[in-house]
Amino acid sequence: MDKILAKKDLSQWLKKLDSYDIYAPQKDEDQWTFSIVENSDAISLDYPNVVVPSKKVIFPQREFLLEFSQSNEKGYQIKEILPEEKSVIILGLRPCEGKAFSLMDRVFGGELKDPYYLKRREATTLISLSCSTPPSPHCFCLSVEGSPHSKEGLDVLLTDIGEKFYVESITEKGNRLIDQAKQVFHEPTSEERKKVEKIKSDAEKKIKREIKGLNNIPAKLKGMFDSPFWDEESMSCIRCGICTFLCPTCHCFDINDEVETSSPMLGKRVRTWDTCQFPDFTMHSSGHNPRPEKASRLRQRINHKFQYFVEVHQKYQCTGCGRCISLCPVGIDIIKVLEKVRDYGA
Amino acid sequence: MVNIQSLKEEARKCLQEGKVKYIIGYEKGADGWKANPAFIKKPEDVEKLIWDPTCFHNLARFLVDEKRRKAKEKQPDTRPVGVVVKGCDSRAVVILLQEKFIERNDVYILGLSCEKAGVVDERKLARKLDGKKPVKIELGEKDNFLVFTDDGKAEIPVREILAERCLECKANFPVISDVLFGEKTKREVLNPFQSIEKMESLAQEDKWNFWKQTLAKCIRCYACRSVCPMCYCDECVSDTINFAVTADTTAEEKAQKIKWLEKSPVLSENIFYNLVRAIHLAGRCIDCGECERACPVNIPLRLLNKKMEKEALKLFGYEAGFDPSQPSLISCFKDEDPQDFIR
Amino acid sequence: MEDTFEPRIVAFLCKWCSSAGSDLAGVSRMEYPSNVTPIQVMCSGSVSPLYIFSALNRGADGVLVSGCHPGDCHYIKGNYYARRRLALAKKLLEHIGLEPERFQMSWVSAAEGQKYTQIIKELVRELKPLGPQTKLRRKV
Repeated sequence: MDKILAKKDLSQWLKKLDSYDIYAPQKDEDQWTFSIVENSDAISLDYPNVVVPSKKVIFPQREFLLEFSQSNEKGYQIKEILPEEKSVIILGLRPCEGKAFSLMDRVFGGELKDPYYLKRREATTLISLSCSTPPSPHCFCLSVEGSPHSKEGLDVLLTDIGEKFYVESITEKGNRLIDQAKQVFHEPTSEERKKVEKIKSDAEKKIKREIKGLNNIPAKLKGMFDSPFWDEESMSCIRCGICTFLCPTCHCFDINDEVETSSPMLGKRVRTWDTCQFPDFTMHSSGHNPRPEKASRLRQRINHKFQYFVEVHQKYQCTGCGRCISLCPVGIDIIKVLEKVRDYGA
Repeated sequence: MVNIQSLKEEARKCLQEGKVKYIIGYEKGADGWKANPAFIKKPEDVEKLIWDPTCFHNLARFLVDEKRRKAKEKQPDTRPVGVVVKGCDSRAVVILLQEKFIERNDVYILGLSCEKAGVVDERKLARKLDGKKPVKIELGEKDNFLVFTDDGKAEIPVREILAERCLECKANFPVISDVLFGEKTKREVLNPFQSIEKMESLAQEDKWNFWKQTLAKCIRCYACRSVCPMCYCDECVSDTINFAVTADTTAEEKAQKIKWLEKSPVLSENIFYNLVRAIHLAGRCIDCGECERACPVNIPLRLLNKKMEKEALKLFGYEAGFDPSQPSLISCFKDEDPQDFIR
Repeated sequence: MEDTFEPRIVAFLCKWCSSAGSDLAGVSRMEYPSNVTPIQVMCSGSVSPLYIFSALNRGADGVLVSGCHPGDCHYIKGNYYARRRLALAKKLLEHIGLEPERFQMSWVSAAEGQKYTQIIKELVRELKPLGPQTKLRRKV
């Protein structure tokens, strides 16, 4: 269904949804970040983009898996810690982040289901704000089968048409949210619908960057595994974790046991974000590391996104948000790397 | 003025004569605005070299990679690597020499003087331009930067958009070099520790609240550590696993790697990590500001390292990065070292 | 409420001087508060700032590092290095807002059992009103 919501009525809608924890972009000094809304009047969806994507809500940087304890009275005990039963709304995320969730759903909700991720995913409703202008000069969502108004992975899509939002409900979850505040919404007129169409098609034209010929790249990458190309390209990489930690689609994790007390023994098994760029990423306990140099790690990141994921899920593991480009301290540009791959040896 | 053509000529000559393996310099990045590190191997590629106020990076960082690369080769090429350095970066090279991490003949230093200016702070510039996108920036006349945007040009006084660390610069031109481009100017710095004095004047609880709030944002991406030339340890104490293992390392040895802090990005562990980094950089940090620039969540890391720099000077009269023959701060002592804090 | 709080102090004592001094206090039956967990190190110069941070991270309410007087170090120079290194560590901890009383250093020789007890008594007295150390303590 589609509706119209006046911007001034946004806080009214949110007040009806007070049983949910609402995450919205809020300004912290000069950076926007998703955090829980205390006061729904203070929300403004007029923001460029966040640095840490909303994946941190559904796939938190740190989550507990289980708790273990051992004491003389009770002996050994292991208790699974599933995410709390809490309904969450993420408000104002960009469509590329919704697409990122749909990609992660394939990983965590495929053959082997990850109960931690899925529980949070099911409890979360995504209300996205479509992009009328690209939030980043490095946006390239159109090249990776995305769009500034993509509905993939989302429950509700808002489009800014001036004083109002055009509200499209995509799933049952989305419908439920709208139904809870029916009186705040109006029916769209045909002019408003036309305006939305124009805004959407204009938004697509405003995207400046693109990768042409991306469909040839997976096969090309397959043949370039041992190429010295990767040594050249990774020379300026400093091996930090920024590109992968802040990528909405990256989902590698590490599991560690954090022991609070050793006697009586009490601790938790904790899952944290990990990145292929850290030197210990595939370090074996024997000391062997199949990816010791930077070259192999840059290759891993590009291959995972544009070859391995394509082979397994037939999708690029990239949403074209451009964060890795704008935040890389040394300016490694994934689009340029892919273009060089495409033209390599030609 | 730094004559970029002379730099290119010198670079071309070095490469043609085979004097250096390759040259680490700055080139225009993909977005056409910022500089990026460049690795020039062929003489004709020296045309890519640039020099402008977006050359933030501390290229001494790549000398660490070069050493690691050489260590893996069976018959390493022993020629030096050419590196373009600013004043601050040259102090990093001095530290690497002082600590005998590299030898003097491993590096051929092409020094560039900032000539009383320095590099811009992108956030300050963004605030100044109020939404307009910068396209190019040059050092203009009369202590101004010339900033070109899509719809015009702005002359902004250097002081207003210069990076904080440039405002406290101690080495406006390289302190060590094989060739120097530009003049040996001195930037007038009234107070080299201005940025931390505000912090020092706060009450204890205010200090804690500030750090508590800012370090809670840390996502432990380790960009600060990765971008620092002085963080060259193969095995960092803040990592939880032991990297220096071989086939002969026993299980006990591996198990005995002390896990000082957890990988989780919780406040207590973030504080520990940042404290460890600051104390390990005491007397070694030369304030290139890269850690703060690289941090994706804008943690003011300079405020930690600068404090150590100030105490090194105030308590022990020690300044890092000027003299490659001086001992490191904590491996020397004076009889007169203060001990009023000791019971 | 505050009267019942007993600060937990971790003391890094150098084997040759301070630890011997604390032993002297013990065999001389001098009374002093039992809040201290002593850790014997070979030399105060071997105490890395990491030990201090780690003790605080693990919940110590106070940390003491004690070594030989300058000039008397069993390893000649160790305590001089300690003096420098730990001065920096102390400044850093104060810079982030930790109470200065929580990390202290002292020179205690093997004959100064009395001095050791005095230091501990003062330390406990200074730490009691501050309450438990929660700032750097690991919270998982």
